Amino acid sequence: MTAAQRDPHPACRVHVGQGEHYVTTDPGVMLTTVLGSCVAMCLRDPVAGVGGMNHFLLPEGSGSGPDAGRRYGAYAMEVLINDCLKRGARRDRLEAKLFGGGRMFDSLQDVGRANADFAERFLRDEGIPLAGGSLRGAGGRRVQYWPVSGRALQRPVTDHTPPVPTARPVVVADAGAVELF
Amino acid sequence: MSAAAAIHTLIVDDQASMRALIRTSMQQLGFREFREAGDGEAGLRHMIAQPAHLIISDFNMPNLDGLGLLRAVRAHPPTSKAAFIMLTGRADRDLVARAVQFGVNNYLVKPFTVAQLKEKVETVFGPLT
Repeated sequence: MTAAQRDPHPACRVHVGQGEHYVTTDPGVMLTTVLGSCVAMCLRDPVAGVGGMNHFLLPEGSGSGPDAGRRYGAYAMEVLINDCLKRGARRDRLEAKLFGGGRMFDSLQDVGRANADFAERFLRDEGIPLAGGSLRGAGGRRVQYWPVSGRALQRPVTDHTPPVPTARPVVVADAGAVELF
Repeated sequence: MSAAAAIHTLIVDDQASMRALIRTSMQQLGFREFREAGDGEAGLRHMIAQPAHLIISDFNMPNLDGLGLLRAVRAHPPTSKAAFIMLTGRADRDLVARAVQFGVNNYLVKPFTVAQLKEKVETVFGPLT
């Protein structure tokens, strides 16, 4: 492990938002994202030293037929893979980590699970090995990924907010005599 | 039998899931005869062995990209009349201009809908139904 890979304060931190992707060959770059029901694929070629991350959410109710989500998802994966290949990666050396797909609401439709299922199926269909990650479950995640080393960290994101301090009742030490009747 | 059912299609894309999606979309339009290839080189071998009426090909592929496949298909008399629809990741004007120069029939920007695919195919073959 190089110093750049251990460095808790990387040379460059890049946030990958929904619908975005980022590819690099710089070992000092750390990619970060926050996921709820979205999924991020962290992809790299360990030999070429190139990797990247995407962040996608399959569209719902687009009115474009039952495969609309798969078409969009396959495209989101393709742009990340193609950019890695352009930077020197080889398809047969690619490995992936998947994060996200959390269940954010107690509704009948589990969007996170659908995203996670799609991502796993995509990797199986494309023959890309799954090297790790964390999918499904409840709540959100903050993910940090170093594409060149393949190191990934995850922290849960909760909506817990610290209680607002309330004013204590003022106790007057000597309020004087109390008249009962 | 619909017009689409008689058209033999070659799908060329290096991503297996994208080939499956194109095939599924084409089946929804009534197409029945498919062959698939994972890159331009394999696609060209398919065309030389048995020409298809329609090629739907990705642009970004290893070995031989979509533009290379288009040029090779147009240069080979037994395959030169095949309809060719290029799939692109975005509306890349330079790529589209070069593809038009080499004889592409139409292009389709990913991610596409079935309606968009139908429209592109119909500009080449006429109404499918």
